[in-house]
Amino acid sequence: MGKTKGMRLRFCIGDVLVIGFVVMLAILIGVVFWIKTGTEEGNLVVVYREGEKIRELSLDKNTEIFIENSYTNKLVVKDKKVAIVESDCPGMDCVHSGWISGKGRSLVCLPNRVEIRIEGEVDSEVDFIVR
Amino acid sequence: MKKNKVNQMTLCAILISMALVLSYMERFIPLQMFIPLPGIKLGLANVVTLMALFFLGTKSAFTILIIRCVLGAVFGGGISGLAFSLTGGILAMSVMCIFKQNRRVSVFGVSILGAAFHNIGQILVAIFMMGSVYVIGYLPYLLLVSVFTGMATGSICAGVFRILKTNTQIIQN
Repeated sequence: MGKTKGMRLRFCIGDVLVIGFVVMLAILIGVVFWIKTGTEEGNLVVVYREGEKIRELSLDKNTEIFIENSYTNKLVVKDKKVAIVESDCPGMDCVHSGWISGKGRSLVCLPNRVEIRIEGEVDSEVDFIVR
Repeated sequence: MKKNKVNQMTLCAILISMALVLSYMERFIPLQMFIPLPGIKLGLANVVTLMALFFLGTKSAFTILIIRCVLGAVFGGGISGLAFSLTGGILAMSVMCIFKQNRRVSVFGVSILGAAFHNIGQILVAIFMMGSVYVIGYLPYLLLVSVFTGMATGSICAGVFRILKTNTQIIQN
């Protein structure tokens, strides 16, 4: 013990720079991510389990499904929004993420290895194509 | 010389058990009530990591980190938990090692960097595990929160170090 010469215990100017760096990094990533996702409308809800697409739902139709893996997530689509409303996973982070909408937004349940992502348009939404 | 080695080993063992207890105890701090985000925690075990880094040196700190992560996985984290804590921990430790020598950054800055890079490491594992880049969307929130959790653990560290410093001086005298 006692090899503590090279350490400062008082808050100093370098720490302000560190905070600035972390905040800037957060803003940068946030802005880039925001521009890439979420600004467009999307109404295709895709359910991934272990990285594999297992189900597609329309955001326009109110539904409830259960996603089973190590745990069980209850997924609800309501009023063009989607959320995991119930889960028996530890932490329940997915439930706390709340309701999402907008293309590129996602809900993640890490313990259950499940991701719910909103992607582009459902094909059935296209009534006809004029060429 | 031999006494020193026993000393070091005992200290390592105490720090590992302290880190394990801290990371278990912090589950009971309802931080998610205030910040409803996945994976938010205070990172109290980082206090121990910083202590090891400053008092015992880089090599011992890495040993303590790895043993702590493996034991944490055995006691309840599981294999995926191990991947998260180990990647986050090693990345955080590496960055803290680099900035430890920097005279312009105090224990607060080092702690914030540790917290931030711990989150970056965990997001990297999440991207790999989920096979999806969209998890990055959480990173800005996690980074902003890590400024506050880093400050909190940093001030705990500063307090602990001050006490340890004066006490070891008393012992040495």
